[in-house]
Formats: sequence, structure tokens, C-alpha cells
Amino acid sequence: MGLREYINDIVEAVVTTAKGMRITARYGVDAKEEVTQQYPEVRREPEERFRGFLHNDIARCTSCTMCVKVCPVDCISLESVRGADKKMVLVSYDINIGRCMYCGLCVEVCPPKSLTHTAGYEKAMFERGEMILRFVQEDGAEIKARVAKQVAEAAAKAAEAAKAAEAAKPAEAANPAVPQPANPAPKEGLSADKTAEAAAKAADSSAVAPGGAKAEAAKPAKADPEKKA
Amino acid sequence: MTRPTEALHTQEMLINMGPQHPSTHGVLRVLLRTDGEVVVNARPDIGYLHRGLEKIGERVTYAQFMPFTDRLDYLAGMNCNCAWAWAVEKLAGIEVPERAEYIRVIVSELNRISSHLIAFGSFTADMGAFTPFLYSIREREVVNDLFEMVCGNRLTYNYARVGGVSADLPQGFLEKTKEFLDYFEPKIDEYNNLISYNKIFVHRLANVAVISAKDAVGYGLTGPNLRGSGVKFDLRKDEPYSVYPKLEFDVCVGTGERGVLGDCFDRYMVRINEMRQSVRILRQAVAQIPEGPVIAKVPRLFKPAAGEVYFRSECPRGETGFYIISDGTTNPSRLKIRTGSFVTMNIFETVTKGLMIADIVAVIGSFDIILPEIDR
Amino acid sequence: MEALALKLMSAVPALAGVPLWAMTLLVMVVVAVILLVFALTFGGLGSYVLRKVAGDIQVRIGPNRVGPYGLLQFLADGVKLIMKEDIIPAKADRFLFVLAPYLVFVGSFAAFVVVPFGVGLIASDLNIGVYYVMAVTSLVVIGVLMAGWASNNKWALLGGMRAVAQIVSYEIPVGMALLPAVLIAGSLSLQDIVRSQGGLLGIFGWNLFHNPFTFFSFFLYFTAAQAETNQTPFDLPEAESELVSGYNVEYSGIRYAFFFLAEFGDMFVVAALASACFLGGWHVPFFRAETLPGVWGNLLSLGAFLVKAFGIVLVMMWVRWTLPRLRVDQLMRMSWKYLVPLTFINLLGVSLWLLIFRGKGIPQLIASIF
Repeated sequence: MGLREYINDIVEAVVTTAKGMRITARYGVDAKEEVTQQYPEVRREPEERFRGFLHNDIARCTSCTMCVKVCPVDCISLESVRGADKKMVLVSYDINIGRCMYCGLCVEVCPPKSLTHTAGYEKAMFERGEMILRFVQEDGAEIKARVAKQVAEAAAKAAEAAKAAEAAKPAEAANPAVPQPANPAPKEGLSADKTAEAAAKAADSSAVAPGGAKAEAAKPAKADPEKKA
Repeated sequence: MTRPTEALHTQEMLINMGPQHPSTHGVLRVLLRTDGEVVVNARPDIGYLHRGLEKIGERVTYAQFMPFTDRLDYLAGMNCNCAWAWAVEKLAGIEVPERAEYIRVIVSELNRISSHLIAFGSFTADMGAFTPFLYSIREREVVNDLFEMVCGNRLTYNYARVGGVSADLPQGFLEKTKEFLDYFEPKIDEYNNLISYNKIFVHRLANVAVISAKDAVGYGLTGPNLRGSGVKFDLRKDEPYSVYPKLEFDVCVGTGERGVLGDCFDRYMVRINEMRQSVRILRQAVAQIPEGPVIAKVPRLFKPAAGEVYFRSECPRGETGFYIISDGTTNPSRLKIRTGSFVTMNIFETVTKGLMIADIVAVIGSFDIILPEIDR
Repeated sequence: MEALALKLMSAVPALAGVPLWAMTLLVMVVVAVILLVFALTFGGLGSYVLRKVAGDIQVRIGPNRVGPYGLLQFLADGVKLIMKEDIIPAKADRFLFVLAPYLVFVGSFAAFVVVPFGVGLIASDLNIGVYYVMAVTSLVVIGVLMAGWASNNKWALLGGMRAVAQIVSYEIPVGMALLPAVLIAGSLSLQDIVRSQGGLLGIFGWNLFHNPFTFFSFFLYFTAAQAETNQTPFDLPEAESELVSGYNVEYSGIRYAFFFLAEFGDMFVVAALASACFLGGWHVPFFRAETLPGVWGNLLSLGAFLVKAFGIVLVMMWVRWTLPRLRVDQLMRMSWKYLVPLTFINLLGVSLWLLIFRGKGIPQLIASIF
């Protein structure tokens, strides 16, 4: 190796090192350059579209099972029974957020838009079992029992009404309006305003007890703590 | 005069650069047989991250497979998402609206920048300079913020859909992207001043693991690894797809500027220069993006016609190709994923003969492999 | 030590009856304990400063949770290391494995004896000062090799061998780069070297500005010292990302702490030597510290010395966080083909200069004109 190359090597080493050291010195001295966020005192607010933990507004869920079908890892499971008004009643709705891959396909596909992403991402737990979020707070068996009872009641009433209709057929001209049961069995998941609607309708027809409707409306509030925690 | 070591009885060491190692980019196991510090044979052992993605592809529908492509190369999630979307659209002959194509190109190039930033950062960290890694992470966080704005996640995006993208760009995204580009472009020069041309760094990489152009093509290398050997082949120019024909950019090739053409330094510089070209593409795309819908009408239960398709796109680590065989049902019949890193491991054993142990680390870093891509 | 013992015995009447040898021994032990505490504290606080400097350069905050501004971090780390399980690998050579950290620490700590902390503040002003430091820091080599071999781990062995090659090769430039200072002072004793840089020329009395060869020599010494203490760009023996921490990979708990403390001790010693031989040691610029009454002179000179030594340590850390690592063959090449010839030429240059200019440096020559 010639002398010129030798000297060149040394000079280049010194010059490039000095250039690098100047850059690191600038960062080292300038305190404003620190980008660390001191979590948890300073928490980063996620963006609007952030895909955090899932939350299902039970009141709006129609048990269509689209979310269950579209989930790539099968982390949603729901059980529902047909209610007295032919609409599905949710018995249980569980999401295993340990398995969930936060892809957002279920939220995209939900027709009533009851399933949404929250901004939550902090939910450390000690056991895997705690990772299953149950959105229906009431015991499944109880719901099934109640719905079964309502279905039975409605069936009985329908049978009665059919019999009354049979009997009233000859006297049809005198009684044109047959009392219509607007909402004989207020659903588990009716939101407050819908229930009020139903209650208003029920006030016209005599089929339902408004007190019963209001009592049901208190239940969905329990599912709310999950929302935007 | 006989060399003194011929009379000495020396033993080859079998060292296991195990799956857990600070500088194999993931769970890669390399079995090194060395004669002192000089490597006689380095055999890679892969498979520690095999998750059966191709089998999963047979079990889920085309739309459901999209989140899995995120996990294929998690540092280039957008690129893999878009590659899958393009492949399925080619299979079914779906026409994607132009705005959606521009959005795809924008997010793909942003992701290329962030992937190359990690490649640059982890490579220099492996070489012992821990500082540039932190700088590149700082830049990457801005890109992650942009992605969070657009799709809600910072790493596993699941943004592209068959037929377009899942949601339109939010208000202010294009302005923020332009801000980022203005902020980022001078940083590339800063990295070059700090570390790229540093004498020690150049010495570590120059003339190490030289891959000739013939070898590179013969072993099937793609992406920056191929271009680092002087072969001017970029899928975005040679097999253009999406709106790349409308965008002007250069293909970065290795020039042998500090050593032999095709050494580690060339591959490294190709990535640095590609970041600059991505900035250029982004500026054009952000200026040219039209208004319009962002997704085509695709039926809910999407059943493409029976047939097969192979679509390849230029991802940061090389060519990511999807070969899909469809039998007319909602799920693919067979799905094969061709990734750049997997094919790059082919040449690993050949190119590491005669190197020193420290060079193995340089080679792995310059190939920019990522294990989920290799193992799928 | 004896002189100090005599002074103490005459100063404190209660101790008059104690035999001289006992007093001397007591004084020696006390001084040793003070030095040990200093070395350990420097090791701890040095690690804290290292992490803070790393944080500043890397656009982040270093430790800041334990204690105000994270100052107690090293105590927390120390407690953690002490409480860790002491693992000795099954097939490891137990005796050597246990002995190695102590050898390494002793090799680094023994050099503290001749560090000139201030006016009259030196544990023992050996008349072979510089020579002694070079000899004693070679113990580190044996310790590192022992650690690498006894761990029964190929990575550790590689790290140990690399470390030996590195430390031995760089001792030559270190020694040769210090010789100009020795030549100017005409003595190997460190206090003599420091005193030779005194006088009213202040900052220009430093050996750094004596002649161009010593100026160059300082940077050669700094480079070789960076290699001696295993700092990046010469940190192959403990290359985190390649060798998974090299020769101390199998060490846990307090044994690991010893290696760590030895590294910081070494850093202090080389920085102290640099400041003593090139930066005027404990001299305060344009001021004669000996003129101050009582212990104030000692303390002032101590302060000046520590400021210079810590400054050098900071620069070493700054270089550490900027540069990448050299490969082992490049390291050896740098030492044998660059540093050794350059230090030889330097030495020749300094000798010629001293011969021609009768021992006067550039500042003295300029001063003698007026």
C-alpha cells in the first residue's frame, strides 16, 4: 500500500469520524430533540380510526352473526334464541381479545353498526380467561328461560286470539279493530328510546305493561363500562 | 517455507448462532463451522416461525386472508396487503378505481420508506453504531402516525381490500404526508454523513460477500439484493402495475462505489437511495391523486371464476408473489406465497465461505431478511 | 505512606504510643478503602452518565425514574445484580471461572495506586509510575482469557481470544504514546510528569501544546486507550450484537458486576493518565494550587484533575455512541500497521525536538523571546 493511500486512510478516518461526532454532539446537546413520551404520565391519544378493543352495543345488535362468520381467527362467539316477535334475542356475546387480531373486518361488516372499535389498548391481565369479554351481562340460562316463557305466553295469547277471532268471525262487522299486540315481549336488548317508543305504542294497545319495558331498559347500561375506557 | 499452521493440528469449531441471537433478524439459526474466526461453512436453518399461512389461506375466504398478509412481512404490511389485493383482482378481473390505486401506491411507498428505515437502523446497530437506529425509529414513528390516521393500526394495517381500499384518506392526511416528506428528505443526508460513509462502516461492508450479477440472477435474488449487484430490474418499471407507469422515478442500482460491485455496501446504499426515490414518487402521487370512489363493487360472498394466477409486486425485501389456484368457491384452493427473503437464503451458504464471523452479521443485515417472510 | 503516618502520629497525641508499622498499615488500609470506594462509585455513576449520554445522543431520555433524575439507578442495578442467582455452568472450570472476575478487577484497580489525584494526593508516588501502570493492566488480559476459557462456551472463548489479541496489541501504542510525556519530564513518576507541566504558562504549559509531536501523540494515545478499555469502535470482546456479550456471557450477578466495574475503572485510569501526561494533571491554569493554605490546595488540585479526567471519559463515551465496530482483523491491522508505526515516528520526533530545542516546547520558546 503506497504512502499516499496510507495517509489518505488516516485522513478519511479522521474526517468521517469528526463529521459523525458533530451530528451526535448536536443531538446530545440539544434537549429539545428528546422524543420520549413519559408514559403513563403522558399518554398518547390514539387517532379517530384507531382499532382498539372491540365493543358491542348489545342494545343494537341484531344477532345476524356476520361478525362471527367474517372473523379470520374465530374470536367472536354468540348465542341467540328466537324471541316471541320472531326477532333473535342475544343470550351471550363473547369476544376473546386475546385471539383477536384487531383487523377490523367484523366492524366493517356489522349491519346495525353496533360493533365498534374503542380507543382502549391497556388491559393487562394475569389470566388468559380474563381476556374473554362478555358483553351480555345477564346469565344465559336466565335469558333463555325468560324468552322461552315469553314465547310460550305469546303462543298462548296467539292461540287465544285465534280462538277469539274464530268466535268473533260472525260478529266481525260490529268489531272492526282487533286489539293488536304491538310488542307483547319487550326484547332484552331494546335501547331506552326504542323502549319508550314501544311503551308509547303499548299505551295505545293494552298488550304490554310499560313498567316492564322500563325495567328492561336499565339492563344495557351495564355493558357500557367497556366503551371508551 | 512451509506455513507454520500446516504442522499444527487445529480443530474446526461448530458454533450455533442460535435462533435467539441479537442480530439475526428474527429466529434464524445459522450453524457455523469455523476455523478460528474464518467461517468454513455457514448453513442456515429456518422454520422456527412457520405458521402455515399457506394452509390458512385454504381455510379462509379471499377477504379474510387480508389480515394474514400483514403478518407475512410485518415491516411492509401495506405492500403485502396491496400485493394480495392486486393478485385477487387479477384473478377475478376486477377493475380498481384510480383513486384507490393512487392511495395504494402512496401507502406502499410510505411503507417502503419505513421498512428501509428499519433495515438501515438494525443493520447499523448490528455493526455496532447504536445511534442511527434510534434516529430511524424516530422517523418511522411519524410514518406510523400517518398510517394510524388512515387505517387505525400502526403495524398490522389490513387496509387494502379486494377492489380498492377499506376507507378513504382522512382529512389532512395528504398535508401531513407532504410535511413528513419535507422533514424526512434532509435526514437521509444526515444518515449518510453520520454513518454511511464513515470509514469504519465502509471498511466493514466493502468487498464483503460479493455477489456477481450472474449469480444474483441465477439464485433468483430480487429487490435491493439483486439491484445491489448492478442488475437494473425493478418490477415497478419492468412489469408495471397499478399507477406506477404515471410516476417518474429512477431505479437504484449498486455502483461499486466503495469496493467491488455487488458487495454489502452496494446493497446497503441501494436501500438508502431507494428511500430518496420513494420520497420522489410520493411527492408526485400526492400531487396527482384524483377524486373518486375508493372501492369497486365486489359481492359480499366473493367467488372468483376457477383458474390460477401469479401476481408479483415489488416489496421492500424483493418480489412478493402470490400464486392462487381458485376452484370457484369462496376460499382459495391452493395458495403459494413467494417471498424475497426466502429465496435470498439460497445464496447464504455460498456467499459466506471464507468470511469471518463478524461478516456473517454484516451479510444477514445487508440481505435485509425477515423471518416471517422466510418461514410463512 | 510512612510520612503520612508520622504526620498523623505527631498531629494526634492520642496515637503517639502506636508503633510506626501499625500506623503505616492503618494508613495504607484507609487509603486503599478510599480508593476502592472511589473506584466503585465511579463505576456506578459512570454507568449512569453513560446511559444518560447515550439517551441524549439517541434523542431519548436516559434513566430518570429511580431517584431524582435517575441518579440512584446504579444503586438499583447494583442491588439487582447482588440479588441475582449465582449461576456457574455445569461443565465450567469452577476455580478459574470464580477467579477470573477478581483478576480483571485487580488488574484495573491496582493502577489506581499511581494516579496523581492532586498535590500530594497520590497513594504511592512510585518512581516507575507509567511503567507500573502498563505492567499491572496486563493482568486484565489473563483474567479475560480465563473467563473466556472457563465458561465452557464457544462464544465466550471467541470473545476471550479476541480480547487478548486486542488488549495485548494496543498496549504497545499506549505505552509508546505516553513516552513523549516521560521524555519531557525526564522521569517515569507521574507526579514528576504533572509537575513538569506547571509554571506560569498556565494552559500552554501542558504537554499537549509542547510540540506538534506530543499533540499528535495525545490523539494516538486516546485511540489506543479507547481500544484498551474495550469501547466501541473496539468493543469486539463484548460485541453485543455479534458475540452475545463475548467473554462475560456466562457470568451473572455480582461476578458480572466485577467485569463491568473493571471496565469503568480502566476507563478512569486511562483518562487519568491522559490528563496527567498531556493535559497538565492537577494544575489549575494560571494559578499555583500549592500556595493555598491547608487542604484547600489539595482539594482545588483534586477538583481540577477530576474535571479533566471526567472530560476525557465523556469524550470516550461520545465516540462510543457514534462509531460502528471494527472487525477483528481490521482492529489488528489498525494497531500494528497504523498506530505502532505512527507512535514510533512520534517518539523519534519528540526525541529529536528535545535534542534540538534543549527540552523547551513551543510556548516556552515563544516566552523566552520576550
